[in-house]
Amino acid sequence: MTKAVRITVDGASLLAQEGQSLTAALMMAGVSAIRRSPSGEARGALCAMGSCHECRATVDGVRGVRTCLVPVKEGLRVEREMKLSRLPLEPSPGGDEGGALQVIETGLAVIGAGPAGLAAACAAAELGMKVVIIDESMGPGGRIWSHRHDPPLAARSWLERAREAGVLKLQGYSVFSGRAGILDVARVTDGKRVRIHCQSMVVATGAMERFLPFPGWTLPGVVGAGALQSLIKGGLNIDGRRVLVAGTGPLLLAVARLAKESGAEVILAEQSSLADRSSLAIPLLLSPSRWKPARQLLKALGGIERYSSSWVTEARGGPGLKEVVLRTPAGDRVMEVEGLAIGYGLIPETRVAVGLGCDLEPTGAVRVDSLQQSSIAGIYCAGEPTGIAGCEAAIDEGLVAGIAAAGKTPKAGLLARVRRHRFWGQALEDAHPLREDLGKLACDSEILCRCEDVTVGDVSEISSIREARLIHRVGMGPCQGRICESAALCQSLSGSDTIRPPWTVVPGENQDISSAQ
Amino acid sequence: MDRHHVIIIGAGIVGVSCAHQLSQRGSRVTLIEAGPGPGVQGATAAGMGHIVVNDGDPDLLKLCLRGREMWRQLLEENVGDRGYWNTGTLWLAEDEEQLQSLERARDRLHSAGVESHTVQGAGLFDLEPALNRNLTGGLRIPHDGVVYAPKVTARLLSQATEVESRFGTRVTRVGDGVVTLEDGTEMKADAVVIASGVSLLENLDGEQDSRWKKILKILPREGHLAITARGTGILRHHVVEAGYQKGAHGVVEEAIACAILPRPTDQLCLGSSRRPGRAGAVDPGVMKKVIDRCERFVPGVRRLPILRTWTGARAATVDGKPLIGPVPGWNRTWLAGGFEGLGITQAPAAAELLAQRIHAETCTLDAGPWDPGRMPVLSAGGRSD
Ligand SMILES: Cc1cc2nc3c(=O)[nH]c(=O)nc-3n(C[C@H](O)[C@H](O)[C@H](O)COP(=O)(O)OP(=O)(O)OC[C@H]3O[C@@H](n4cnc5c(N)ncnc54)[C@H](O)[C@@H]3O)c2cc1C
Ligand SMILES: Cc1cc2nc3c(=O)[nH]c(=O)nc-3n(C[C@H](O)[C@H](O)[C@H](O)COP(=O)(O)OP(=O)(O)OC[C@H]3O[C@@H](n4cnc5c(N)ncnc54)[C@H](O)[C@@H]3O)c2cc1C
Ligand code: FES
Repeated sequence: MTKAVRITVDGASLLAQEGQSLTAALMMAGVSAIRRSPSGEARGALCAMGSCHECRATVDGVRGVRTCLVPVKEGLRVEREMKLSRLPLEPSPGGDEGGALQVIETGLAVIGAGPAGLAAACAAAELGMKVVIIDESMGPGGRIWSHRHDPPLAARSWLERAREAGVLKLQGYSVFSGRAGILDVARVTDGKRVRIHCQSMVVATGAMERFLPFPGWTLPGVVGAGALQSLIKGGLNIDGRRVLVAGTGPLLLAVARLAKESGAEVILAEQSSLADRSSLAIPLLLSPSRWKPARQLLKALGGIERYSSSWVTEARGGPGLKEVVLRTPAGDRVMEVEGLAIGYGLIPETRVAVGLGCDLEPTGAVRVDSLQQSSIAGIYCAGEPTGIAGCEAAIDEGLVAGIAAAGKTPKAGLLARVRRHRFWGQALEDAHPLREDLGKLACDSEILCRCEDVTVGDVSEISSIREARLIHRVGMGPCQGRICESAALCQSLSGSDTIRPPWTVVPGENQDISSAQ
Repeated sequence: MDRHHVIIIGAGIVGVSCAHQLSQRGSRVTLIEAGPGPGVQGATAAGMGHIVVNDGDPDLLKLCLRGREMWRQLLEENVGDRGYWNTGTLWLAEDEEQLQSLERARDRLHSAGVESHTVQGAGLFDLEPALNRNLTGGLRIPHDGVVYAPKVTARLLSQATEVESRFGTRVTRVGDGVVTLEDGTEMKADAVVIASGVSLLENLDGEQDSRWKKILKILPREGHLAITARGTGILRHHVVEAGYQKGAHGVVEEAIACAILPRPTDQLCLGSSRRPGRAGAVDPGVMKKVIDRCERFVPGVRRLPILRTWTGARAATVDGKPLIGPVPGWNRTWLAGGFEGLGITQAPAAAELLAQRIHAETCTLDAGPWDPGRMPVLSAGGRSD
């Protein structure tokens, strides 16, 4: 099923599997450090979903490519950004005026091909709209349905429906700029630009993980919890490896399960207490549809080493990860591990929505009405950007958004389901409150902003995110604050950063004039 | 008697420079700023930070030169973001005619005592191998440089003693020696300095002398900039095309010119545009024109990853010169604004001049060209230079 291909890394040839995520291929070959930070630290992938930019490298001569979004193919040339050359550049194709831009005209543009985006696209297309769906990852399905070979059962019908309804897919393209009616997108691998003109949009950009700094969190080999999931799905083999899955939230359970099923020796540590989580009992009792999956999950997790009210206070190693200190109610335990997957819950990915001008709720989620319409007419938002509530919520919100975008009225039953999902999402969040200690794990010398190597101590005397950015460079690197802003808020900085284009950093403009119209 | 007390409105690079200069002269300073900190809200947070000796006008040249001299005294040289990075400026000519105009500029600079020299052909590419080989030549001004304005502003403020800073506080009205805050508080001082950038004249109490309110004008000029990722520092000089100053003052339509500033962080700041108006959302069309214009002088920049783009507003005046001096007809309220695209360069010199005037000292530079009272009382439409 998988074809072995050759790629080169810094000139050396190595074997990888076709279609594997490039980050996973590099890790499999023992290359977990992909770039050097400004102060010279070796760094590797953190999020494995395109947010942190820690995995970037020069791929086939294109700088700043996020390797976690690139599928391996024969002959790929990778140069790690360990030492960048500053040689004169090749002129850009198209001369000083640039080439003609490829333009796509459509009725609806859907941003994100996760459950929410796919559902929206299907609903609108089946009602006769011309639909384009844009997604930056390697394949459709978003976080939960991402796959390398066969799509998971739940995803299949949606992918099938989208195909039949003639939804146009731009997979491997990031949306980086735009306004109502216009989106600018760029291909992840080479920066090829496409402009999309549309009547309406559905923003279904999902969520990202919350990272909190602690000593050692920048070591290559320390990845997000969801990141481990993405890497395994992207072809990382962890058979026989000892990995700690830590942090908070239901995602940890899904990750631990996948890691176990992939042959790893898994340890699971949840920071919230059993008492916190017991608040879920009643909402769970009230939703019978969740009983079976919950039972299956618990069964699958049987036999793994588990800790509650426990969290990682330090990761040690150098250059790679060697051991982890876990604070448990019974005292600190030092554990030898080969991998640490750690995430402190999910936060809505709202950059595209905010960039388009949509208002946020005080909670940080995009404000929508009962038809999923944002504060801007014609711009809908569905799934995790409107609040973390999981896959079923994403699907139903996507349906509502797609139907509304097509000018129809969703059925009352569907709307009622959306309300119930929101209630469940809130219950999940309430059951996993973050303990205050977690914001204080990092000492002054610990890195806060990974892109720019700004330490916690550097920002100790200021009070706003704006000063942290402009005076100390927090969030001035390629992730543009995605990773460090939530960490900075825990360091008692206030406010938020402005979102400016590019909403996500893409390789420089490289217009493919031959394909332009 | 109480200490001489000055209220300064605006903690951009100009307001903070004034605080620095005034506190050195023994004044007690209250600095009032709407934003959360120094240099993070207005044009200071948006500007490129090129410290440039501009030869367009003999008076402006003196102000720039004094500004540059003071920056080089105030800051350590070549220590990265927190100091003065001595990059030099390289003005670029695309043809013989432009080169001749740069040669004339060189002669004027020489007579003002500014070191500069022209280069042609291969000499240009020895200086900057990344430049387009079709360029005819250039003018190099070796002591120009680069500062990172927000950081320098914060440092300058931390060095000033006797300054009480009130951030997150907005001024809603300014009279002669009196300031009203948004919560209604009224504050009086021996002197009030308005350094609120593009908002310079907005809160001036016009009833006292509406005549001046009609002729003093701030014309905002929006500019678009972009910053590349690290590892792209392919230039040593700040490079600017010869026609850059076009559209800086007076009434302008849209103007796009190549200005590329290397940053000590191994990045490039790409600029820039000018069009009437305040800083709004980034316009992708304008941004593209700016980057395409830069591509023309430094081939390949368009393929560099851009981390962020943004806009800022320069505060232009009707006659193209800043306003440094008392509000005409008033005794206790002073203006420091209208610097258009040169406020970072000129801030220390302007602050020195203003502090000297407030303290009735002999001025280092002639005060006349900058005095807000210089404006002829005539048609409010203005004229371009
Ligand atoms: C790392 C991670 C792992 C998760 N794992 C699970 C799990 O195992 N089980 C579970 O029930 N839930 C999981 N979740 C929660 C998950 O978000 C929801 O269950 C569900 O997938 C949400 O669907 P969605 O359509 O809202 O978003 P997603 O499925 O996240 O889809 C959003 C899509 O938008 C794309 N996108 C975002 N920004 C842009 C842009 N600027 N340009 C182009 N494309 C863009 C992304 O690449 C992504 O494919 C996970 C979440 C995260 C962050
Ligand atoms: C795109 C661009 C590029 C530039 N490049 C350069 C360059 O390379 N070199 C150069 O020398 N100059 C450059 N400039 C110009 C330079 O940035 C400005 O001239 C300079 O920063 C002006 O400083 P300031 O302190 O007067 O104004 P600002 O920095 O705008 O500060 C004014 C402050 O006043 C505050 N304020 C306003 N109203 C009130 C109120 N009512 N109450 C309280 N506070 C208030 C604001 O919040 C703000 O912080 C550039 C400008 C732009 C826009
Ligand atoms: S690991 Fe690829 S962007 Fe985070």
